[in-house]
Amino acid sequence: MLMNKAAAGDILQGTLDMLILRTLVMGPAHGHTITQVIEHTSENALDVEQGSLYPALHRLEDRGMLSSEWGVSENNRRAKFYRLTPKGHKELAAATSRWRQMTRAIGLILGESTD
Amino acid sequence: MNIERFKDRKRKDEDLAEEIDSHLAHEQDASAARGLTPEEAHRQARLKFGNPRSVREAVWSYRSVPWLEDLWRDLRFVLRSLAKTPGFTAIAIIVIAVGIGVNTAVFSVINTVLLKPLTYPDPQSLVRLRNTFPQGSNPFASVPEFNVWRQQTSIFQQVAASDFGGAGLNLTGGDHPLQVQGIHVTANYFSMLGAPVIAGRTFTAAEDQPNGGRVVVLSYGLWKSRFGGQSDVVGRTIQIDGQPYLIIGIIGKGFLTDPAGDLWLPFQFDLTSENMAHFFLTAARLQPGVTLQQANAQLKLVADQFRRQYPGGGGPLDGFGAISLEESMIGDTRQPLLVLLGAVGLVLLIACANVANLLLVRASVRKRELATRAALGAGRIQIIRQLLTESLALSLAGGLLGLILGFVGVRLLLLAVSPGGLPRIGEDGSAVTLDPAVPLFTLGVSVLTGILFGLVPAISASRPNLAVTLNESSSRSGIGFRSGKLRSVLVVTEMALALVLVIGAALLIRTFVKLESVDPGFDTHNVLTMAMSISGDRFQRTSGVAQLVHDGTDRLKTIPGVVAAAATCCLPLQGGFGLPFDIVGRPKGNARWTGSANYFDLSWSYFSTFKIPLLRGRSFTEQDNGSAPGVVIINETMAKKYWPNGDPLKDRLLTGVGMGPIFAEPARQIIGIVGDTHNRALDEDPFPVMYIPTAQMPDAETALNSRVAPLWWIVRSNVEPHTLVKAISAALRDASGGLPVAHIRSMEEMVALNTSRQRFNMLLLTVFGSSSLLMAAIGIYGLMAYSVQQRTQEIGVRMALGAQASSLRNMVIRQGMTLALIGLAVGIGGAFWLTRFLASFLFGVKAWDPTAFIATPILLGAVALIAVWIPARRATRVDPMQALRFE
Repeated sequence: MLMNKAAAGDILQGTLDMLILRTLVMGPAHGHTITQVIEHTSENALDVEQGSLYPALHRLEDRGMLSSEWGVSENNRRAKFYRLTPKGHKELAAATSRWRQMTRAIGLILGESTD
Repeated sequence: MNIERFKDRKRKDEDLAEEIDSHLAHEQDASAARGLTPEEAHRQARLKFGNPRSVREAVWSYRSVPWLEDLWRDLRFVLRSLAKTPGFTAIAIIVIAVGIGVNTAVFSVINTVLLKPLTYPDPQSLVRLRNTFPQGSNPFASVPEFNVWRQQTSIFQQVAASDFGGAGLNLTGGDHPLQVQGIHVTANYFSMLGAPVIAGRTFTAAEDQPNGGRVVVLSYGLWKSRFGGQSDVVGRTIQIDGQPYLIIGIIGKGFLTDPAGDLWLPFQFDLTSENMAHFFLTAARLQPGVTLQQANAQLKLVADQFRRQYPGGGGPLDGFGAISLEESMIGDTRQPLLVLLGAVGLVLLIACANVANLLLVRASVRKRELATRAALGAGRIQIIRQLLTESLALSLAGGLLGLILGFVGVRLLLLAVSPGGLPRIGEDGSAVTLDPAVPLFTLGVSVLTGILFGLVPAISASRPNLAVTLNESSSRSGIGFRSGKLRSVLVVTEMALALVLVIGAALLIRTFVKLESVDPGFDTHNVLTMAMSISGDRFQRTSGVAQLVHDGTDRLKTIPGVVAAAATCCLPLQGGFGLPFDIVGRPKGNARWTGSANYFDLSWSYFSTFKIPLLRGRSFTEQDNGSAPGVVIINETMAKKYWPNGDPLKDRLLTGVGMGPIFAEPARQIIGIVGDTHNRALDEDPFPVMYIPTAQMPDAETALNSRVAPLWWIVRSNVEPHTLVKAISAALRDASGGLPVAHIRSMEEMVALNTSRQRFNMLLLTVFGSSSLLMAAIGIYGLMAYSVQQRTQEIGVRMALGAQASSLRNMVIRQGMTLALIGLAVGIGGAFWLTRFLASFLFGVKAWDPTAFIATPILLGAVALIAVWIPARRATRVDPMQALRFE
């Protein structure tokens, strides 16, 4: 799933969903682009295991967070582009705020100052 | 749960495959851009992505419901594999269908008779009131009793009476008078039982008073059949026995009573009456919160009071009691039905053992297949699940067929044999319907059956012994030690259960033969009987009835083919009225009367028509009429019981002692003794009977009889009596001024009707017994045939080494018969214990009847020997050379 497999679980699964949604805020993208963006933006700290990306994309689409259509990519190849739906926007906001609360809570426990 | 997830799985998967290709292409582009060779870029992209197939599988399984998929896959697999062995599948399904079919049939009867609640509102609070005696109880009530019961308002909300419509009524006024079942009821009868009134109203209290007027309430059936369901029937007048009656209401279809009524009339009891005749039934609804125990305690006090008020109203130990109305309707049919259920349960067990056996054979043939599946990674649970799916598929298919079989079967059975007075099943069992309880029962039994016969073979087949099995050559991979033992246990069980059932059947067959050989005391051949309702006014006096009997008999005798004719209140085998009597001049001590006996009133030619022998004295003649001195003839049982040493012909009888003014009459001279006839049933000893000429009955008693029982005509012919029905009916219509006859039956039919319950039980158990015997025989045959086939090579070696064919044959027979004999021994033990439940079915044989217990095991042993003989002979035909090359 994500880099640290030992810590895998619901939190991280949800995290991948959140990262995908965040990536798509910038506009529609296909699977490969999404991986690249996550890896580059995180300065290669996060390495998306590509095998788990597609199940996540399909799950999100089934739940109505994403819509998809086939199109032509920047490399002039056929690719499936994912787009954020209004429901996806809402979910991203909710997921982001959940994440912030959690990191803050963990931070407090670890004795880091917040803000 | 999101439904999107499960839709379009196949298309989405193809989409995903294309998407993955696209992803790989983009990754390859990126790598190529970093300067890798196309081959290297291709390799790197694949490496980074991992296995595309496992991604697709992950998405695929996310889009599926695992157990449902598995079930579906197992089911398809099972159906394919069952279709490949149609012989096995058909036999298994048929065996299960027979087992489940008989269970469905018996359950549907039990459901109707025992389980369905009464159709009246709040049936738990309805009770039947009855008289109790030290010897038992009966549900018949008299008017004074009814009167005190209805006053017990602290325990009863309502007390209502109804009679049996026994006499019948004649709807006159048309070209074709119709004899109908008219039931007299008290005014509150309908409201107590919640009868649905679909038009008009029911009786008022005023209409239920003496001289309350002639009013009638119609049943739905009569309204439809006689009046074509016309809506304006209420308010019209109909003729009943020549009198006009006002129709005041119609009761809806759902109102079921036992016996069923065509129409209802108000009882119009004179509550001040001291008439002690018991001629109707009483039911009551308990006050809310009053228990049966409380009601019975109160009734005990009421009985004591009643005896003080009416010294003739009962002995010191007699009392009143209440039981639930449902219980009283079910009566003594509960135990016989439960015994039948037990019997069909055994049939089902045998069917299960049989199919389990077949499955074991099948599993051992498929050992390599199963081992291969296990080697390829199928878990033990998966193999058990697949085999259980197979047995469940079989049992459900069998169950469906069994449901049809059972339902058709019970219909045919109820039509073919009258079920012997089972209550609540309606006309020809029409109330036995396919309500939801029956299919649910069948479904439950099917699932249970499938698990029962499937689980053991499945577990034993799933035992992992891969290496051994796969290494074995296919032809030798036969009966493993364990499954061989298991099959032997099953065969022994089948034999034992079959023996129990066949012994049961043998006992019932012997009972029936004994019953058939009972001499009823009269000649049943060529005698026709029919009932005429004589409820009209002119039959309220003895002279009117005597005139009818005289005219009718005269006319009947003129019909060619008629040898003799008579008329009576009561036929043999149907029971009569009971009446206490005194022997004039004999001291009776503290007793209220000397004794009590049945009494039959009859025309003078009764004994000659029935060919009942006169033992002493003289028979009645036409001169024993109303103006002649009173006479009575008694039967042999009565003579022996009350005159063990004396001579009855010297004594006079005073009948109806203590029964109130209706029955008061001068003493009668005993003029003769006739042979006994069976009064109620062939399996009951004859009661004492007093025969009295119809022409000499007191008027009041005649009026009562005309009300509660029809007049029965008896015709003896020298031709098949049914051929005379038309002429006889016409003659009697002329003699009676237009009255119809009904219930036309020969005495032979009456005897058959009388033994119908025994016939019903015997036929059922014989069917169950023979089907279980057949299944057990198939079971033991199958086991031995299979074992011979599996051991062909061994037998060949033995023969090559010089074993005699006969000794090989004997070896197989010995093995098979050992199993059979163990089964028979176990079965005899079981039957000894179980046949006690049959005791109440039996007549003339003991529950441990030696004939049944010796003959039946011999019969089963012989059948088993035949079943074993065939494979044993096959063993001797093995050609050693071929057997050794069998591999």
